[in-house]
Amino acid sequence: MTSIALGGHPDEDRTLVTIFLRGGADGLALVPAVHDDGYHRARPRLGVSASRALRLEGPFGLAPELAELHPWFLSGELAVVHAAGSDDQSRSHFVAQEVMERGGLSASGGWIGRWLRSRQASGALGAISTGSELPDSLRGAPAATALGSLAALEPGGDWSGLCRALEGLYARDRLLGGPARDALTAAERLGTLAREGARPGDAARYPGPGEGELALGFGRDLGQVAALIRARVGLVAACVDLGNWDSHFAQETIVSTRMRALASGLAAFARDLGPLLARTSVVVMSEFGRRVMENASLGTDHGRGGVMFVLGGGTPGGMHCRWPGLDADRLDGPGDLSVVHDYRDVLAPVLARHGGGLSAAFPGYAPRPLPV
Amino acid sequence: MGLTRRTVLVGGGSAALVSLLGAAQGPRAVPRTPGPFAVPVSAEVDLAEHVLRRCTFGVAPGDRERLARLAPRPEEAVDRWIEEQLRPGQTEDPDLVRQLRRLDSLGQPLGELYEWKPEVLLRELSSATLLRAVHSRWQLREVMVEVWGDHFNVDSGKAECAWLKAADDREVIRRHALGRFRDLLGASALSPAMLWYLDGRTNRRASAAERPNENYARELLELHTLGVDGGYSQADVMEAARCLTGWTARDRHGFRKGRVEFEPALHDDGEKRVLGRRFPPGQGPGDLDLLLDTVASHPATARHVGTRLCRRFIADEPPAGAVDAVASAFRSSGGDVPSVLRALFRTPEFRAPAARRAKLKRPFHALASALRTTGARTDGGAPLLDYLRRMGHAPFQYPTPEGPADVARAWTGTLLWRWRLGLALAGNELPGTSVDARELAARAGGAERLAAHLLGRTPDPAERAALASSPQPLALLLASPDFQRC
Repeated sequence: MTSIALGGHPDEDRTLVTIFLRGGADGLALVPAVHDDGYHRARPRLGVSASRALRLEGPFGLAPELAELHPWFLSGELAVVHAAGSDDQSRSHFVAQEVMERGGLSASGGWIGRWLRSRQASGALGAISTGSELPDSLRGAPAATALGSLAALEPGGDWSGLCRALEGLYARDRLLGGPARDALTAAERLGTLAREGARPGDAARYPGPGEGELALGFGRDLGQVAALIRARVGLVAACVDLGNWDSHFAQETIVSTRMRALASGLAAFARDLGPLLARTSVVVMSEFGRRVMENASLGTDHGRGGVMFVLGGGTPGGMHCRWPGLDADRLDGPGDLSVVHDYRDVLAPVLARHGGGLSAAFPGYAPRPLPV
Repeated sequence: MGLTRRTVLVGGGSAALVSLLGAAQGPRAVPRTPGPFAVPVSAEVDLAEHVLRRCTFGVAPGDRERLARLAPRPEEAVDRWIEEQLRPGQTEDPDLVRQLRRLDSLGQPLGELYEWKPEVLLRELSSATLLRAVHSRWQLREVMVEVWGDHFNVDSGKAECAWLKAADDREVIRRHALGRFRDLLGASALSPAMLWYLDGRTNRRASAAERPNENYARELLELHTLGVDGGYSQADVMEAARCLTGWTARDRHGFRKGRVEFEPALHDDGEKRVLGRRFPPGQGPGDLDLLLDTVASHPATARHVGTRLCRRFIADEPPAGAVDAVASAFRSSGGDVPSVLRALFRTPEFRAPAARRAKLKRPFHALASALRTTGARTDGGAPLLDYLRRMGHAPFQYPTPEGPADVARAWTGTLLWRWRLGLALAGNELPGTSVDARELAARAGGAERLAAHLLGRTPDPAERAALASSPQPLALLLASPDFQRC
């Protein structure tokens, strides 16, 4: 599912893309602590060796399935945060996702919805989603809609004829003349997109049919987001889902496939955007990480601390973690990596680069922003 | 297949239906007919049209005749129409009654609501709201339901409001929409949805060390009654919060879900002082009544509520003279809503030419009026609600307590979706909704007269020219600048 918020002026030039790994993505699979002995003790069968992982910093390596992302880490455009998550301790998918997307259970609306509303952008378009429904994070957005495909952007009937006729009628309207011009500009750009499709450059190399449905679908979602960014239709925020990370059983098949889809999609997206990546922030998050110790069915159970990525948008990149370690006395509850970095502390600097509004997104929260 | 509105009304249907139409009830019971209907004939919005546009969710075919039939002079006819609307009868549009009956969750008692999925409750309540706005005979009541729903905003997305908003809409907002403000306020204060939404249910002070939760108390003063400049202090907020300690609502995990109770042990029963008034110790649940009496009768409340009403019915920047008159009626009538509205509609500011076409319809109003003016048949279903969500105006989903704004600048960014809606509606592309554009034009008496019906006045030369060259005049009218106004 992809949700896209089109809230600003057609020439709004910064876009926040959040990618939610639903189901609780195993942070120790994405970013294994290959130089921490505790990791190998906890993951005798599921663990990867230091030699197979790609070098990050400190005890951390990047999963070999994420190799396509490594160049962006090396060039300082990808930040990695470990032991990140929310303060929710339920270990329930439903509750933890809700806490994260709402920004607390006592909050009303979703954090992106509140953030968008606080920006007072009154552009031509509100919000669009390509999935069947909107994620909770977009609740209360000044506008939000489901966008199944780019073709849906072009209405039936004589839309362009109607727009031409309206142009004249609105031009003389003092209140609505300006907003109508913005709407007409956006309509024209969206129409072009709808007719021509995403048309990524050849260099983008989005996943093809040979790479499986999951990678194909995720790549297609990101390709549409990139097309909307390139078309300058006022895209302020887009939410993309990559689901089913719930790897209680036979983790490797579940997680490896998804890591490859994540890496190939994101890498293609970054290549597709080219210089526009500098104005596009991608944040990857999940409701929680997983139990440190692998279980008897070669899986892992619901845990706490996980991994977040920030790609592009001016992030200084780098590896960020006050690593609590994996010793038994440092673990949380039934044996989980602690949450050392609140997800809002990762989002704080990102939102600051997108015009602020953190207090609207997370009312009452005093952030300790990470330098990501 | 279901009968169309037309076949029911024209074909006569059963005796029961005829009696439902309330043939003996005077002009308001005249059924919608498929015949010709009157349209405005002047170049500026006339008084009757102005009143209809402001006090309804759109002027339906036949509305002008119904109003004109009430008295020979327009001023008198308008007054009578307003009087009728201020005292709604029991009769209702039979098609609407039938459609609402299909929405099974609507009439469920409080405890039963918890048996439903939140998304079903929200969908049915939203559809019902739209259907009522489009078809109800008691249009002014529907408008006031919207006004109070905004004033006492509750987001169905917060915690158990997902189940409880349906009861709040029915028992608080609808029940008291044309009643007394104090009753509305009292119902809202003890609505389980409001107790969840503004954290009143967790407001307790079992010991001196506990600090009350001020959330509801603050919004009570700032939004629901006195207004932000109403002359209260932070101390008043804190003292009001103390008055409200101990009121709670049971959650969905035990028995008697949603039930509102007063827990004496959680109530701070000491002496309080709010807005200069002394609350003696030991009053228990009586503190709430005294508090609500105090704030409801405060002059700032009359002004704050009056300002909201003038903003809704007159202009984004309410004229001071009208606010004075309305606030004064609020005080002298003890907050009797019909008396207050009667005073508002009598102000010269409301009737002045400057007020006509001065308001931008909000997205819900724009959608409802598109359906209502075109005589659309609709199920009020998901494709329509999706449009509202795209425009940021889906009912019961506004996140923050101040509710959606009622000024034009908050909504000028929604034009693109309004245009698309017009095109989709006129082109019959919305599943569950249909419009017979040809028949509508024929009944109006041609394209120009159809334009006058939708615009509330005769089209000007530019509009005439655009319409003449348009292959889809109805879509163009629905998307035109002046259809966005009321």
